[in-house]
Amino acid sequence: MINTMAQMPALIPKEVEIQRLKKVWLMVIALGSIAASVEVDNFVDGSLHQTSIRDSAFTPSHWWLYSHFIALPLGWGAVALYDRKIPILRGPNNSMNTGLKMTILGYLATMFTIGINEMWHFWFVEEIFSVPNHWMFNMGVVVAFIGALAYVVRVYARLIELGAETPGENPYIAEMYKMALEGKLYSRSIP
Amino acid sequence: MTLPKGFGSGGTGGSSSADVERMIGRRVENMTGIITASYWAALMATAAGTAAGYFYYPWAYPTASGHFAFIVLAIIESIGFIFCVKVSEEGSNKKSNGIIAGSIAIAIVFVLYVSIYVGW
Repeated sequence: MINTMAQMPALIPKEVEIQRLKKVWLMVIALGSIAASVEVDNFVDGSLHQTSIRDSAFTPSHWWLYSHFIALPLGWGAVALYDRKIPILRGPNNSMNTGLKMTILGYLATMFTIGINEMWHFWFVEEIFSVPNHWMFNMGVVVAFIGALAYVVRVYARLIELGAETPGENPYIAEMYKMALEGKLYSRSIP
Repeated sequence: MTLPKGFGSGGTGGSSSADVERMIGRRVENMTGIITASYWAALMATAAGTAAGYFYYPWAYPTASGHFAFIVLAIIESIGFIFCVKVSEEGSNKKSNGIIAGSIAIAIVFVLYVSIYVGW
């Protein structure tokens, strides 16, 4: 018989694992709310630049914007610390979960580029989206969000595996969950 | 099942429900109080943050803009609060719908009061 999924041994009692996963999930909801507020600040920032074109690190909408890039990495760092208590979520060679690694690396790139960006704008004032100093900033945010998404999906899938969460009531979604748990989700398109 | 060091009956491999409870610590279904307190702390911090914007930098952050941000953020925080309590209590016998409804109702009154009377 060929196993399509790795058979993970239960390293901690199921009830303990469910409680720990739910604590992670509470942190995920809090961080998701913070990330949602970044979207609000996109509008506030856009509104600001309609009237006051010049960017500055000290404009109010930027306090809001940049403080997310401190709050979110700190939050994911806290998740990474707690994550060590859930064996199934460990990454290769018992390292940090790969999604969390991507998230933290993405935010590090973002924070590093904020400094680079300020240096660039010392000489070039104009805010053009595509200038090179913005590249790593935006890519860092994307990498961070993708990594966080991968981690969140893994936590949710494990809650379903343990029977603590119910897959969607939509039969098509439920079928997708079932196939994913059997390792067959992509078998329709990738034979 | 083998439990981590410090748990279980010392080498025999057995685990009791007391060990499981010690490993769990505070259960998520008993965290409604801290979640509610965090929600209120977040709401107050949001009110203070937006007020700092329109009181100190009205040229860049007009009151209407601050109130818009406050209202939308209060909605986001309220949704997060509801999700947190629901996730923590699902599968248990605990029901805190009264706490949720009371908190949200007070928050609505507070947000309306700030939006109508503060900063104009």
